[in-house]
Amino acid sequence: MMGINVTKYLSPFKEVSIAPLIVFRIIFGALMFLGTLRFISKGWIEQLYIAPKHYFGYLGFEWVKPFEGDLIYLPFILLLISSVFIILGLFYRVSAFTFFLCFTYVELLDKSNYLNHYYFVSLMALIMVFLPANKNLSLDIKIWPKLKSIVTKQWTINLIKFQLAMVYIFAGIAKLNSDWLFDAQPLKVWLQAHHNIPLVGSLMQEEWLAYIFSWTGCLYDLFIVFFLLSNRFRPFAYFFVVFFHIVTWYLFPIGVFPWVMIFSTLIFFSVQFHERILDALSRTNWRVNSITQYESSSNKRKLIFTLLSIYIAVQLLVPFRYILYPGDLFWNEEGFRFSWRVMLMHKEGHATFYLVDPKTGRESEIDNSDFLTQTQEDQMATQPDMILQYAQIIKTHYDGKTLHYGNHTFLIENPEIRAKIYVSLNGRPSQLFVDKNHDLTQLKYNLYHRTWIEPFKK
Amino acid sequence: MRLKRISSIYLSLAAVVLLSFSCKPDPTDTMPAFDKSELLNNIANNIIVPALNDFEADLNSLESSFIAFQANPTQLNLDIVREDWKAAYIQWQMVKIFDFGPIRDNGFKGSTGTYPTDSTQVNTNISNGSYVLGSVDNVDAIGFSALDYLLYRTNALSDLTTNSNYSQYTLDVIQKMKSEFATVNAQWVSYKSTFIASTGTETTSAFSLLVNEFNRDYELAKNAKLGIPLGKQSLDIQLPEYIEARHSGISLELLQENMRALRIVYLGDNTSSGQGFYNYLIQLERSTLAENINSRFGQIINKIETFNGSLEEEMVVNVSELNTLYSLIEGQVINIKTDMTSAFGVLITYQDNDGD
Repeated sequence: MMGINVTKYLSPFKEVSIAPLIVFRIIFGALMFLGTLRFISKGWIEQLYIAPKHYFGYLGFEWVKPFEGDLIYLPFILLLISSVFIILGLFYRVSAFTFFLCFTYVELLDKSNYLNHYYFVSLMALIMVFLPANKNLSLDIKIWPKLKSIVTKQWTINLIKFQLAMVYIFAGIAKLNSDWLFDAQPLKVWLQAHHNIPLVGSLMQEEWLAYIFSWTGCLYDLFIVFFLLSNRFRPFAYFFVVFFHIVTWYLFPIGVFPWVMIFSTLIFFSVQFHERILDALSRTNWRVNSITQYESSSNKRKLIFTLLSIYIAVQLLVPFRYILYPGDLFWNEEGFRFSWRVMLMHKEGHATFYLVDPKTGRESEIDNSDFLTQTQEDQMATQPDMILQYAQIIKTHYDGKTLHYGNHTFLIENPEIRAKIYVSLNGRPSQLFVDKNHDLTQLKYNLYHRTWIEPFKK
Repeated sequence: MRLKRISSIYLSLAAVVLLSFSCKPDPTDTMPAFDKSELLNNIANNIIVPALNDFEADLNSLESSFIAFQANPTQLNLDIVREDWKAAYIQWQMVKIFDFGPIRDNGFKGSTGTYPTDSTQVNTNISNGSYVLGSVDNVDAIGFSALDYLLYRTNALSDLTTNSNYSQYTLDVIQKMKSEFATVNAQWVSYKSTFIASTGTETTSAFSLLVNEFNRDYELAKNAKLGIPLGKQSLDIQLPEYIEARHSGISLELLQENMRALRIVYLGDNTSSGQGFYNYLIQLERSTLAENINSRFGQIINKIETFNGSLEEEMVVNVSELNTLYSLIEGQVINIKTDMTSAFGVLITYQDNDGD
């Protein structure tokens, strides 16, 4: 459709110019270098990975812990080095793998810091490990001249396009819900807060603008990839990409993500476009003395084809896993992460936890700031899996402890941890989220449906 | 050519959206749009600055009445000092809400309002006769709470009269507050315009700071002024040693003033009618919430009025009523921290982090 020749994409082993892949490698490396530098310069390593007393690991990855003290800077330094090596195409696969490992390690430390675009970077870095993005304009071909090639298999470029398409299309599908489309929430709340910005500030309180933003955002996410794929409409579509992401960057605290998308989507541009960039970068003609890629064996092709199919299937299915759970997705957040639900809801919660001494039935309110950072507390208060993890943190802290209050002494053994939690979703009045009648330490942290979350009332 | 069809679908969808919502009468048309900069202007000029000036005057009176007392140490003059101390302490309930800008930069909330006081440290300082009040060791030996102990403890009059170290220490504590606050208030003169101009949505913007500190102060009042002494964080074992202003016995009065001050900020209303959080909620069509918060403040303030004794006395004889008061205060946290802030689109956080 739209002049996109679909069959063109269905021959993964067709040889095409390697130029888009080379340009993408340089862009990816540069963005990651700047993103890491920004992260370090904002003092977030100290704030997020040194200051907290406890961390919220992912299910199955709770063993991933931060290095003690300043050693945690090590993965970030490695990220800087490996991203420079990626730009230069030096020891490329090792560098890409190092980058993937360090980045994913940091992301696995604490789900309080989960962002879809970090997940995107992890996936992209993993993909990069398998792409021959060092076969031109790299230091690797200076060391190993035989590597040099002006062509690559088509799948290597299309996989990047596929991953970008997943982000956009699933972000669009996620917006197909009644809050977003028919109440313009959460954008109504988010936009009105900007009523003091210059020139257009007065519009920000207008209800119709929130609807325009919601619907445009949804349609943009759903369809932009198809326009980017079309030779005819690409320049027009790219203008929209730049405009859309700059607006979101200006209005919302989404860090480097808009820039990642603005530059990554250049991959959709023509071979000629990328070749011109390489011509400019290489000063000499980058095509000279090149050796064509060797034909790969049919066994290797089969392996690549199988791996690609698995990866694509996983990417297509994971965002839909929420279907397996009853109840409201935004409220229960079962199957919510890793699904490109970007800037989709506004959830605010207040959680009061109680330590209950089973022997005396006496209870204490927990001061959350004794255990968690502000960010962790905010995230925990609205996310059921983190609520269970936090209950375990409190239990572990008090179990076996002797508490002295005035003349009284209590030996705490097997305490119950209860919580009274209220949550407001997308500007609604808050509702009870977790009732105090559950001993949270008795509930298992797993992937089964959580019946202890109070049902959501629209 | 399929594109044409898609773009026409796109266009007609957009048109439908536009039409369907332009048909709907827009209730916001009839009322003036809310303006955050007006709110900040009102809070700064009509609430914060007058409160700071009153507080500075209160500290000055406290110092002069104490110097007058030193010259003529009578019970009558001590009573005047106590009244001045109390007036300043009550005014502090408003000032301490604004823990950002100069108050935060100078660490003034901590050095002035930390309680309970460490009487052992106070007495050590007095008997040594030399001390650095700004040192870390003395955090719990200064501020209003130390003065509560120094001015109201048993034999305060005779100790102040006969023990010159004791009397000097009291003066030093008063003068430390006075001189530090003079710095704070002077800095507010230039900070005021920064504050009013900062209308953005980032976590460091004045509006976010105000909402955050409003919430923090409310929760601090709930926990430190009432919850902790009542035993809410100690397995229901009461902890009278954590009562604020225990020696003077004015803690319930301070709690009431704290709630009054928070309500004034909420309404944006001191003497003149001005824009506050209440008006913003009304603009956002959350009038039920807006009225609930206001009436809950009223209930809390009225409930505190029903107690005749000090908190320490009431904790002995009237626990169930104090628990009722605590529940009233606790219930408001959800209103202001969850519902109000989510309506404002403000992030309750001190960290400038990315979101998505």
